[in-house]
Amino acid sequence: MKEIEISLTVNNKPYKLSVPANITLLDVLREKLKLTGTKEGCGKGECGACTVMFNGRSANSCLILAPQADGAEVITIEGLGNLENMHPIQEAFVEEGAIQCGFCTPGMEMSSFYLLTKNPNPTEEEIREGISGNLCRCTGYMKIIKAIEKASQKLNEKH
Amino acid sequence: MGEYKYIGKSVPRVDAAEKATGHIKYMSDLSFPNMLWGKIVRSKYPHAKILKIDTSKAEALPGVVAVVTWKDVPGLNGFGIVVPDQPVLCEDKVRYIGDAVAAVAAETKEIAEKAANLVEVEYEPLPLVDDPIKAISEDAPKVHEGGNVHLHTKIVRGDVEKAFEEADLIVEHTYYTGRQEHAFLETESGVAKLEEDGTLSVYAGSQYPQRDQMQLSRCLALNPRKIHVVSYPVGGAFGGKDELTIQPILGLLALKTKRPVKIVLSREESIISYWKRHPMIMKYKTGVKKDGTLVANKVEIYADTGAYASLGGPVLNLAVEHACGPYKLDNVYIDGYCVYTNNGVAGAFRGFGVPQVTFAMETQMDIIAEKLGIDPIELRKKNALRRGDVSPIGNKLTTSVGTVAVLEGVKETDLWKNKDKIEKVDKERPWIKRGFGFALTYQGTGLGIGLPDYGGAVLRFREDGGFIVGVGIVDYGQGTGTSYAQIVAEAMKCPVNKVSVILGDTDLTADSGPTSASRGVYTGGRAAIIASKRMMKILKEKAAELLSVSPEDLEAEGGYFYVKNQPDVSISYDKIAMEFLKTSGHLPQTEGYFLMPIADIKIKDAFGLPHHIFAYSGHLALVEVNTLTGQTKVLEGAEVVDGGIVVNRQGFEAQVEGGYVMGMGYGLMEDVKIEKGIFKTVNFSTYIIPTVKDAPKRIQTVPVHDPEETGPYQAKGIAETVMVATAPAITNAIHSATGIRIFKIPATSELIYNLLKE
Ligand code: FES
Ligand code: FES
Repeated sequence: MKEIEISLTVNNKPYKLSVPANITLLDVLREKLKLTGTKEGCGKGECGACTVMFNGRSANSCLILAPQADGAEVITIEGLGNLENMHPIQEAFVEEGAIQCGFCTPGMEMSSFYLLTKNPNPTEEEIREGISGNLCRCTGYMKIIKAIEKASQKLNEKH
Repeated sequence: MGEYKYIGKSVPRVDAAEKATGHIKYMSDLSFPNMLWGKIVRSKYPHAKILKIDTSKAEALPGVVAVVTWKDVPGLNGFGIVVPDQPVLCEDKVRYIGDAVAAVAAETKEIAEKAANLVEVEYEPLPLVDDPIKAISEDAPKVHEGGNVHLHTKIVRGDVEKAFEEADLIVEHTYYTGRQEHAFLETESGVAKLEEDGTLSVYAGSQYPQRDQMQLSRCLALNPRKIHVVSYPVGGAFGGKDELTIQPILGLLALKTKRPVKIVLSREESIISYWKRHPMIMKYKTGVKKDGTLVANKVEIYADTGAYASLGGPVLNLAVEHACGPYKLDNVYIDGYCVYTNNGVAGAFRGFGVPQVTFAMETQMDIIAEKLGIDPIELRKKNALRRGDVSPIGNKLTTSVGTVAVLEGVKETDLWKNKDKIEKVDKERPWIKRGFGFALTYQGTGLGIGLPDYGGAVLRFREDGGFIVGVGIVDYGQGTGTSYAQIVAEAMKCPVNKVSVILGDTDLTADSGPTSASRGVYTGGRAAIIASKRMMKILKEKAAELLSVSPEDLEAEGGYFYVKNQPDVSISYDKIAMEFLKTSGHLPQTEGYFLMPIADIKIKDAFGLPHHIFAYSGHLALVEVNTLTGQTKVLEGAEVVDGGIVVNRQGFEAQVEGGYVMGMGYGLMEDVKIEKGIFKTVNFSTYIIPTVKDAPKRIQTVPVHDPEETGPYQAKGIAETVMVATAPAITNAIHSATGIRIFKIPATSELIYNLLKE
């Protein structure tokens, strides 16, 4: 496959990469940049495990091909917060017990991030809508909804 | 519970922060320098002879480093927890569409995939075996030479025929259940790597690293000590990673190429290739007296185990054991068959045979309650097993029995209290009907009789006065690891955050048996307490020496030893650690091993039966059925669970909620469709699992307990029971909403629509 040059910003860091033209943004993040926090659960846009912020919106990175990512601004779970400085969404997921196996968690949190950016005070219905593209097999979703409600409070208190 | 400092509290998962930040490395996240990608070549036919395998074209492709076939398997070309009847790579025959025939390792994923397509296999199709009942007949084509019945288990007690004559009511129905897919979000993935000293490291999420090591040692003809298995963290398992999956092939490729090899299954390959919940056909005939007393139960069970045994035999036996529910029954005839077919493979899955029979039995109970006009709780209470009773299969229940506690708890739930206030027909949308349903179940904890069932834990004292506990059990989401931290904190009298946990590593943890059968907290927890007691003794002696008192004068609390009645004379654990390092150069380490108690009798001709300890749960559902489309929505759910004392309240709720929604998927939507041996639902667009929009508005979770004295701080286990009776609670609710009876799950919109039309 033909290699192409792409430039993109990931978590505020600029990158210039030469990658095969048919690989996905998910592969660019995981294989080339070793940002493995973004997960693959289906590779087909059906599970949301690969959700990242892409030019200000949430997107399934498994559906974006590398050439489309040229010039893009991407935020991944690693850019949201880290162990020393967790984002309020991450804190809320921890505190509310919204994490079990944890494989859906980064994608869930990124979808929550986009939701709360657009809508700082979502109703329960809006929360459900906001994460309806993210599958979780462990939690039954109850604690995830609570975590997003708590994250919304935390973020509002900060502002 | 008041006397405990850490047990029973809500403690965030020990690995939560690492998971929340994406920092934790799952096996599918690992990469090593010089790593190759592996790809498995799978059968194109559900049942065929292999005439020829030609790998030359694949080998010639630039970038391909190795191609392996059965000829490359150095040891036993077979694996399987009970009988090793599944080839690592098939030699002369394939038995299902996902059977592995060859594998390649190449420089890139893309090349590996191309090369896999270049492996040429010549097949001669064989007659298909796809109906488990027909498969039993003598003249059916055979999946395995020994015949299609993998296991036949029959338990007879009393005289059912005589009892049916005395019964006032006989309820007779046939039930069908679907082939549920685990749908863990992380597919079977991992890396194998040959270390410089010749050790083979296998990093692959699974449920029992020490057994993986043993099975791999046979297949790869390697000393088990030369195999290092790391199986935690895992992105979900639910039973589906109990058996080996890709590990032997990973091992083969790494041994042959002498380079690290990684395999990540696509979702489609994952669904086709590995374990499912056994679909079962169950014929029930239940006899009951007018007053609701159950007098006889005759049950026939046909379990479709697919092409290989794996845990199909034990799954059938659990179905047989639990077929009558937690009820007193002295006349039973239970006849179960576990049958080979070419329908993929079935194996362990949360509930392990019990969800199937519970759907059947709890529907029978609902029908009986309705026909006799008895309140569903009272009917169950009348028949409920209690401590000291003899179970339907003949063993005396000498441990905690939570039936009555659960039934009393159910009455206290909001759903039960408000069930008569339900607006049964929606005023504005009269085609919307609502109903309430209930079901009771129980689930054996542990492996049962005749199988080695033990817990093991190693406890290391840390330099900072904290502890590291290492248990072979794997936490793939249940929260077991956090429970161990709480248990050690309680036993060692130190804060929970001073305990770190290592799981699922053959080098660093003690063998604690498989992570299955709701046994993790019980077995590993007991072992951790034993290790802690030994550690406490050592630390106390050291502290006494340092404080010049006798050990009996000391009391531990919050990471300190105090002299009784002289609280100002104390020494901290970290000081003691320093003293150990100063005087001996190392820190103490203890181990604890624990044998699971077993029942007083063995059930004849039923391997593994009976179990000795059980968890109990009552499941409730409020549903809404759209009678125009047949679609069912669960509006609200509740569960009352006796899993002994709850170790972690937050973890308990999370397990119950997750189990409830998984059980809802089982009851309403999930079924892997296989037609003529070919999979029809291989992704999340065709195999639908519940999304947040399907999940109920609320799930009330209520712990009750009949204390289990033998458990760690009187805990038992809850992982399975919490999903088991959700499906019948929902289908019973559908009946109360619409009047139709569901005898087949999943109760899809289509099924309900057609039943309503009739
Ligand atoms: S991996 Fe992208 S949606 Fe599933
Ligand atoms: S926590 Fe396991 S899939 Fe969501």
